[in-house]
Amino acid sequence: MPVLPKLSKRQLIVVTGKGGVGKTTIAAAIARLLAAAGRRVLLLEIDPRESLHQLLGTEPSGGGIIKAGPKLSVQNLQPVAVVNALVREKVPVGILARKIVASPVFQHFAQGAPGLKEMSVLGYALRTVEGDYKHKADVVVLDAPATGHGASMLAAPLLLSDLVGGGQIGDMAKNLAQFIADPERCGVVLATLAEEMPVQELAELVALLRERMGRPPELVVANGLYPRFPEGRTGSPVTPPSDDPIRRKGGSETVRRPAGPLARSSVHPSADILELWRERRAVNDRELKRLRGIWKGPLAEVPLLPLDRGPELLAAIEATLGEELA
Amino acid sequence: MTLGQLERKLLVVVGAGGVGKTTLAAALGLRSARAGASTLVMTFDPSLRLKDALGVGDSAKDRAVRVKSDTRARLDVILLDARTTFDRLIERYAPDEAAAKRIYTNRFYRELAGNLAGILEYMAVERLFEVASERSYDRIILDTPPTRQALDFLEAPDRIVNFLDSGAIKIALKPWWESGGGIKGIPMRLAAKGVEGIADRLLGVRLLGDMLEFFRAFAPLYDGFRERAEQVRRLLREPETLFLVVSGPGEDRIPDTMFFARKLKESGHRVGPIVVNQVHPAVGRTGGLADSQFAEGLELFEFLGQRDQRGIESLRKLLSRGEPLVVVPLKASPPNDLAELEELGEELVAQVR
Repeated sequence: MPVLPKLSKRQLIVVTGKGGVGKTTIAAAIARLLAAAGRRVLLLEIDPRESLHQLLGTEPSGGGIIKAGPKLSVQNLQPVAVVNALVREKVPVGILARKIVASPVFQHFAQGAPGLKEMSVLGYALRTVEGDYKHKADVVVLDAPATGHGASMLAAPLLLSDLVGGGQIGDMAKNLAQFIADPERCGVVLATLAEEMPVQELAELVALLRERMGRPPELVVANGLYPRFPEGRTGSPVTPPSDDPIRRKGGSETVRRPAGPLARSSVHPSADILELWRERRAVNDRELKRLRGIWKGPLAEVPLLPLDRGPELLAAIEATLGEELA
Repeated sequence: MTLGQLERKLLVVVGAGGVGKTTLAAALGLRSARAGASTLVMTFDPSLRLKDALGVGDSAKDRAVRVKSDTRARLDVILLDARTTFDRLIERYAPDEAAAKRIYTNRFYRELAGNLAGILEYMAVERLFEVASERSYDRIILDTPPTRQALDFLEAPDRIVNFLDSGAIKIALKPWWESGGGIKGIPMRLAAKGVEGIADRLLGVRLLGDMLEFFRAFAPLYDGFRERAEQVRRLLREPETLFLVVSGPGEDRIPDTMFFARKLKESGHRVGPIVVNQVHPAVGRTGGLADSQFAEGLELFEFLGQRDQRGIESLRKLLSRGEPLVVVPLKASPPNDLAELEELGEELVAQVR
């Protein structure tokens, strides 16, 4: 079954992956695809250094909810603010309570109780789709922190509900753990590059999701792929044309380059570029194959594009991803 | 044969995730050992390929292992492990075995302490301090965990001390458990009661109990720990400590890189060259191929080359004169063996001589 109609049924989609793999772009593209499919979408960013607005061509959110298109809103969420709001809501607001929340003692405590921040973000998403807030959405797409932290975000409710005996946080944790574990309501999308370390981390994350949380991801997106290198009819790579005295041989052995400042800014002859292209794509192919061994579920491939980060790039990635998932 | 501007006792390699910090740290380590300085590379999570290239496996986990190279001086590698380091710290500062055991077996410590933001970062510098005090190497190169929030690393010692600050935690918890628990002054007691009321309502009794037990068990270790964190802070600001900021190519990476370099300086650290890694080369002379089956790919490489060049230029503009910038081109494939690693190291060093 195509993945997009399935994703459209979810209430929360968590997008995570190793740092620098284009998680935010993938999250934004998925949010736009779902909005185009008629869902009201809230796209949440947690990184205090906002970058979504660049991609979407909107004003920075500054913590507020910003309209980013038909049925699509975006918000940069400050976890600490959500924790504080939660406390204020659960505790009758006297002057003392308000002072305590603002005090360094409480702030240490809120930061020190691990998982609380992560959970409050998930709680915010759940309450948004359940219609507890003025701003309504059918689905929340969460641009989660990079892998290590992204995994602990997903695991936080389970961990806390095990650890916390009772109290309102304990109940909330239980509730959220169920929400996260329910594949009908919550989907996890993992973004990666087809390179060694990102795939290695992805393998660890898939195992963690499967074993510890009993819920595999719904989709893996291999981002930033170099284009396929044109192959000859026999299946062997085309020999790069020789417009260049230091012409390379057709094999795939590594070419030693002179080190030092020379390599710095010299304009590279096209045969060198072709060599670089072929080798980088070979890395992509090798890692895609390894990825396939680890992950048998839906895998979308997104190419590296000659576009700067911005609305144009986002539209192109949305189009590719739309085709891959339809 | 020296390392030029990198001729320091301690090099700390920092930067966002996925920019190739670990490979560069290893490459520099090899180059440093070649120059005759016994060198230790401390790293977290190298790729399998890099482990193979260095010839070290899991045996290097938390233990220095010799790299079999033909360098004049020795090159060792340690793979850092946050939990093991934390455990050892506790072992060191606990007054007796029973006290250490109370912490090890505490649920709060077991389940959660390792997930605390900043622990990984802190344990890296902590282990560094441990090795640096032993003075058995001429040079140490520390590869840091990826920091999307690059400041996590710098602030880690402060944050840990703050978090463990018995004052705050005791105020929050103590009177609730020990009636008449030694806190004087009515406002303080009121505030403490308020916090504990909220905490109880939100978190329930069990977690509070676990946390309290943890902080109690930790109390005798606290002074040692705090002093240690202070020493670690100082070590990072010594004249012989140099930070190497590694950046990915492309214009959109530059603001983050500059922000981090500036913050490092403002907080009293010494920042060495900024390294822009994995730079796509400029593309030239594709005339004959413009209409071929290569056209699309070459157009992409042309764009990437220009994009990375723009990034480097905007970075150069932001740097003041005399602040070096190192540009390391993207390799066809990552270094596979010691020779290729050393070549990479030389490529870097040649630009800061």
